[in-house]
Amino acid sequence: MTTEPALSIQGLTKSYGRVQALRGVDLEVNRGEIFGFLGPNGAGKTTTIRCLLDLIRPDGGTARVLGLDPQANSIAVRSRVTYLPGELSLEANLSAERALRYLADLRGDNIDWNRVRELARRLSLDLKTQIKNMSKGNKQKVGVVQAFMAPADLLLLDEPTSGLDPLMQQEVYRLVREAQAAGATIFFSSHIISEVQAIAERVAIIRDGRIIRTLDPHELIAMSTRRVRVRLREPLPEGTLTAIPGLTLIERTLIERNGMTLTVQVEGEMDALIKALAPFPVVDLETERPSLEEIFLTLYEE
Amino acid sequence: MPGLTTEFRHTLRRLRGQILGWGIGLALYGLLMGAMYDAINNITGLEDILANYPPEMMAFFGDRIALNTPEGYFGTYYSSYMPIIVGIFAAGAAAGLLAGDEERGTLDLTLSYPVSRTALFWGRWMAYALATALILFIGYLGWAVTLPMSTMDVTWSALLRPFLPLWAVSMLFGALALLLSLILPSARMASMIAGALLVANFLLAGLANLNDNLRPIMDVTPFAFLQSGEALNGLNWGWLAGLTAVALLLSAAAWLLFRRRDIRVGGERGWSWRLRLRER
Repeated sequence: MTTEPALSIQGLTKSYGRVQALRGVDLEVNRGEIFGFLGPNGAGKTTTIRCLLDLIRPDGGTARVLGLDPQANSIAVRSRVTYLPGELSLEANLSAERALRYLADLRGDNIDWNRVRELARRLSLDLKTQIKNMSKGNKQKVGVVQAFMAPADLLLLDEPTSGLDPLMQQEVYRLVREAQAAGATIFFSSHIISEVQAIAERVAIIRDGRIIRTLDPHELIAMSTRRVRVRLREPLPEGTLTAIPGLTLIERTLIERNGMTLTVQVEGEMDALIKALAPFPVVDLETERPSLEEIFLTLYEE
Repeated sequence: MPGLTTEFRHTLRRLRGQILGWGIGLALYGLLMGAMYDAINNITGLEDILANYPPEMMAFFGDRIALNTPEGYFGTYYSSYMPIIVGIFAAGAAAGLLAGDEERGTLDLTLSYPVSRTALFWGRWMAYALATALILFIGYLGWAVTLPMSTMDVTWSALLRPFLPLWAVSMLFGALALLLSLILPSARMASMIAGALLVANFLLAGLANLNDNLRPIMDVTPFAFLQSGEALNGLNWGWLAGLTAVALLLSAAAWLLFRRRDIRVGGERGWSWRLRLRER
């Protein structure tokens, strides 16, 4: 097996008129990896992916996909890559099956239709329904099916769970892990932190056309502050939490029958707080995940 | 070439409704006009009526108003209008071949598959060329079935001849629409401009008969090389080849633009190519 990275991007730039979408993206994705590409809308996620598929041509920099130049070896690259667009559009007058058969024909290989039916069953997708009569979620399922119906070395998934309900999101995560187990590399973009945490092994954060940082997804949460609300059956003795580093008490309210609610802000890991609360009867504990913007603020502060 | 036949079949399937709709419409019109040939030619004093038409009107239609001849009748009542009618289909369908899909956002996914832009372009172009030919052929059949029943002294193969220049001129304006669709911000704008040029050329062809000053301009436009009813007596192969060659040249220019093009995402329209040129 080759050790060349699945994706290697250096100094990639792309402008649309006066708008600079990519300002020098540098990125490397290893073979067999599930790699998350996290960033707010307009950060350059889709532009990067579309450069890798030769749908648009970068103004500068280099990109290698599976060791190949996507412009010079466009067909060779696309025959080994499957893609799920972020804004999926399918021909409205076709049924899901007809649309998938057309795409299967374009791939040229003999697509195993049992695989297509199996994917449709797992995603609860009716292949006979016309695309124009489908909800956004069902259209997205067609997109997911086409991305997973053929064996691929690399899957480029642009916001793959967009429009799907939580159950179907879990099914997509399972498909991603199965593809990885079969030897594929998965590069997916998202602006949802929980999604990146759920499946990615590494994550790159992009903002304003630049990669801010590449890190382990668990570091994402650890590096940011979270608000934690704890409800206890009895009041907490004074000073119980004062020794915990990175913890700020925001609110302390006594409630009926000697209970108490506490709202604190925690920086970094939760371990110290959980251990400090362990001797006391905790009725409820809620944490607010940091938003993507809060994480960016933390990164900028660093 | 991977994807060429898939794109050809797929595009032909997409155009099948238009092929039948436009084709049957033309066939019914041909059937009507073919069936009326004897009736119109037997109108007593028809030549006197025509002689009393205003000379400007006679000039607008050129020398074709010799309705008692097959070429005059066919040219006046059928093939002189056909470039406009088939041209509307041609310009609309050609402008939508690539830019239409791009605006709807479907081209993004199609081009992520292992199909070259060249295969996609020419696969679709060939299907469109065949669709235009099929529309004209269905139209031809409508007129052809009337031949055994009328005194119009034309063979089936001779009747087919005027449809060839019609196809070539439709392809030419279609290719222009295709090229414009890759330059202008929207497919609709491209088809409208190509359609407007087609109508302008039709009007110019008539007006040039009234005003000699317009003749030099008319002589370099596609309609100057379009044989109408006179093609029943024999084709001008040079003109036919010339019209086809220009259509191919315009198509080749569109292909070159498409190969280098940044594919837009769904809903995106704009003058980005102009902005880029200005920045250079």
